[in-house]
Amino acid sequence: MTTAPTLPVTAGPPATPSRDTGRLRHGRRWDRAAVLFLLPSLLLAIGFLIVPMIAAFVYSAARIAPLSGRVTWVQLANYGAMFTDPTFYRALLNTALFIGLTVPLSMAVGLALAVLMNSVLPGRRIVRTIIYLPLVISGVAVGLIGTFLFNDTIGVFNGLATSLGLPNVSWQSRGLPAFISLVLITLWIRVGFTMIIYLAGLQAVPVELYEAAQVEGASGWQRFRFITFPLLGPSTFFLLIMNVIYSFQVFDTVFVLTNGGPGSATEVLGTYAYKTAFGPARDQGYGAAIGVVIFLLTLIFTVVQWRTNRNRDEVA
Amino acid sequence: MAFNRRQALLGGLGLGAAAGLSGCAGLTGKAGSPAPSSSGSGSALQAELTFVNWSGDQEKKAFDAVITAFEKANPGITIKTETVPYANVQTNLDSRFQAGSPPDLFRVSYIDIGQYTSEDVLLDVSGTFDQAKIDAFVPGLWEGVVYDGKPYGVPHQIDTTAILYRTDAFEAAGLTAPKSLDEAWSWEQFAEASTKLAGVVKGKQVPFIYDWQSAGAYRWLSWLFQAGGSLLGEDLKSPAIDSDQGRRAVEFTQSFFTKGWVARNSSVKSSTYPDSAFISGTVAMAFAGDFLIPGIEDGVGKKFEYASMPMPKDVQAATDLGGNAVVASAQGKNTEAAARFLEFLVTEEQQRTFCEATGELPTLKSLTAADLDFQVRPDLMKTFVEQATTLTPEQVKQVTVPQFAKINAALQEELEKAFLGGASAADTTAALATAVQKASA
Amino acid sequence: MAVTTARPVAAGRTTTGRPAPARRRRRSRAGLTVRIVLAVVTALVMAFPLWVMLTTAFSGQRTFDADVSVIPRRFSLDNFSRVFAAWPVGTWFGNSVVVSVITTVVTVVVSVLAGYAFAKLRFPFKTPLFLLLLATMMIPTQAILVPQFRIVNSLGLIGTFWAVIIPGAAATFGIFLARQFMLAIPNELMEAAELDGAGSLRIFWSIVLPLCKPLLAVLTLLALMYQWNDFLWPLIALKDPTLYTLPIGLQFLQGQYRTDYGALMAMTLIAVAPLVVLFLAFQRFFVQGLATTGIR
Repeated sequence: MTTAPTLPVTAGPPATPSRDTGRLRHGRRWDRAAVLFLLPSLLLAIGFLIVPMIAAFVYSAARIAPLSGRVTWVQLANYGAMFTDPTFYRALLNTALFIGLTVPLSMAVGLALAVLMNSVLPGRRIVRTIIYLPLVISGVAVGLIGTFLFNDTIGVFNGLATSLGLPNVSWQSRGLPAFISLVLITLWIRVGFTMIIYLAGLQAVPVELYEAAQVEGASGWQRFRFITFPLLGPSTFFLLIMNVIYSFQVFDTVFVLTNGGPGSATEVLGTYAYKTAFGPARDQGYGAAIGVVIFLLTLIFTVVQWRTNRNRDEVA
Repeated sequence: MAFNRRQALLGGLGLGAAAGLSGCAGLTGKAGSPAPSSSGSGSALQAELTFVNWSGDQEKKAFDAVITAFEKANPGITIKTETVPYANVQTNLDSRFQAGSPPDLFRVSYIDIGQYTSEDVLLDVSGTFDQAKIDAFVPGLWEGVVYDGKPYGVPHQIDTTAILYRTDAFEAAGLTAPKSLDEAWSWEQFAEASTKLAGVVKGKQVPFIYDWQSAGAYRWLSWLFQAGGSLLGEDLKSPAIDSDQGRRAVEFTQSFFTKGWVARNSSVKSSTYPDSAFISGTVAMAFAGDFLIPGIEDGVGKKFEYASMPMPKDVQAATDLGGNAVVASAQGKNTEAAARFLEFLVTEEQQRTFCEATGELPTLKSLTAADLDFQVRPDLMKTFVEQATTLTPEQVKQVTVPQFAKINAALQEELEKAFLGGASAADTTAALATAVQKASA
Repeated sequence: MAVTTARPVAAGRTTTGRPAPARRRRRSRAGLTVRIVLAVVTALVMAFPLWVMLTTAFSGQRTFDADVSVIPRRFSLDNFSRVFAAWPVGTWFGNSVVVSVITTVVTVVVSVLAGYAFAKLRFPFKTPLFLLLLATMMIPTQAILVPQFRIVNSLGLIGTFWAVIIPGAAATFGIFLARQFMLAIPNELMEAAELDGAGSLRIFWSIVLPLCKPLLAVLTLLALMYQWNDFLWPLIALKDPTLYTLPIGLQFLQGQYRTDYGALMAMTLIAVAPLVVLFLAFQRFFVQGLATTGIR
């Protein structure tokens, strides 16, 4: 299953309310029934997440023949090939660029929309629904709609541009516009999620703080900068991690909208991993190696982000 | 409120369950796996065969017709077709082979067949095809399914590229199309005509589109052959493309993009194919394979008139070899029945019916000389039939070597760089030569 | 003072406040107009792609010229009948339903059980296990495609729905949601039942679960959404076209129909409609589910 979008901010030792260590149940110190409760999910997680991830590390050191499935061990040859593979670097660069564009933009726009939706506004409910409706639409469907919107010759956007007398953009056949089309489509999907989280965060800000600031003579912008934004810290932290993970692992929309093209202009790590393993090259060992790289990069980023947040909280 | 929602949910689930009953096959896992056992030998064969292929609408109907005829002639054998998109066929086959349940039959293009023959997974059909039967095929085309001296399937059909053009565009540009192969335009005449067309197209239209997208990248080789060049040397392993002819071909085709004769989004890595471009009226000429004709005729309808003309020629006339073979897997459970189907598929009557319905070209000698009664636009098919005669056995050999799929992939990469990335002709041919060397290693 | 009128208003509550002085009122009306304009523009921009999909699907058009119109010119069901006639769309729809529903049920059951354990039960290695499950959420599908294929293959499941259902239920986000929710259930309720002599299972079944209706709703909807839209793994696991789910069918048709956007948009609408309907009916739960996880 594609990675889920939700990740609670609380991670750290889970709160164990009121059961003190002195209490005994049925004469035991821990609840034997826990085994029953945990077993199904543990088995599934081990069997289909943990073991495959370990196996991915293992397979990244192999070459697997396409038709027969025969495995030959090549140690670090796949990683060596990665170092000299221009497409890999391109995919890495594109992924970084993609993250660098979509994450800040979706968060900024999401925040702005949350502020907007939080204010007095007629028809607020409807607009909110329209904004987060794209979340439930599959990546493939979004990509398909995108191919129609961004088609060079018969696409909707270029058609509109022509009828307005504006120049046409080569959305499909030039690298930069293709990349932009991808970013735009991703923003369309993700902005709603950001807005939901920020809205919830905004509504948790105590009204008294604003009242006090207003009495002190703070302007709207000052109130936002010194009260709202800092108090949204946890939401921002959460969104940062979630959106970065999403953008690291993006696949469906890229695959359908541009398939990495033109050339490798929009090739990202996710699509490259798939292409090497299941495309014409059918090199499953190399594909596994790229998958390992994706995982490690995501992990490193999350850990770094976690540490930074922890320090920030301590300092604050 | 909650009551209504619950009702709606239940109703929805009910509907879904009804629709889902058809999906039960997926739960038991019976779908897709062939029933084992062919009881007894002799003419009363019992078997259920799976046939993996890709097909456009007309091809699907034509295949169904052949299968129905076969099943009638062989009661007891049933064939289940599984249509998979062309882009996914290879991975689909890979996972089936790895899972140990390969399909009994599958369709494979001549440029890809080498990957399977060299892995020893295909059924050797020399038992079913004696020399007399082999001689019935156009020499060189049979070679496409032969590996190491043994045949591994049947060449079912070929297709080739020629030019479709809009009569209104030619009129506006004051052009007269050549009517036969002898009158085919030279490269200079073609360039002249394209310039004239560029003057009359309006808005987003461009003079033409070429059919080198995606797996069709190798169709660029026509220009190489027209220039008198070669892809491989006589040993069919060493590269011969890094030559003056090679560079000339690259330069000429690069000029299509720099002069704006083709749209930038019709390069080798794009997903805009000639049929959709021609139908949507964005090109005046389309280099298209004959198999696209039924679809184009359907799509164009009454919008505009169009006709066909041969490919341009330089030192010689040349075109590309497209088309597919049908093969059987050696590890299938019903190899005898599968071989029988292969034999049936390429009998004169069946091949004739298939080609006439789909606008594809036959592989049997008796049919290439004959006048096939093509169902759709026989006037256009004449050009393609003629064009196909420019294929030489040497060219066929070059594009059906086992390593050709890798060479095709390299063609895609390097041509994209040449067309959209501004790479020089010399660099392109050099890179291609290196890739050919690597592939043949 | 400020242009934005007032304090942020929580959903459902109206602003309480003194009537603003005249100067502020004028400014606030200008502010309101600005906000309305912004909201309308946003709504139009966000709805545009879906509008295009709708109008194209029902336009009956098969080929598109360089001049495309976004105002619908005619209404026709041709695109739908064409797609349905040529391809087993109904089967694909049914497949999606079967796979999504079964996976959702399994996911919810498994997640609720595990969530309860992490929230309320004591057992050794609780923290390390929790962190391990946390880490699994970072595993990208692309990384485990190959090994997962080989594992599922060796179990003989490739080509059946179970190849999608079982790995699909391994999603760990449900466990976190469940745990989060159940942490808030007061322990006193459970302690009282214990004193009466009830066992863990009994407590779970009779006391805790009935309180979890909102959680179940949220979990079900979210799991359903992910399963319905899941594309990459099913693409590899289901090799038989009659077993395709809608996202795979959609991509399949992209290869077949290429620029026949009428057919493609019609098919997209079919693939998208059920979830949209579900979402519109149960918005509250979707949003709540996504939002809950963001708050400490």
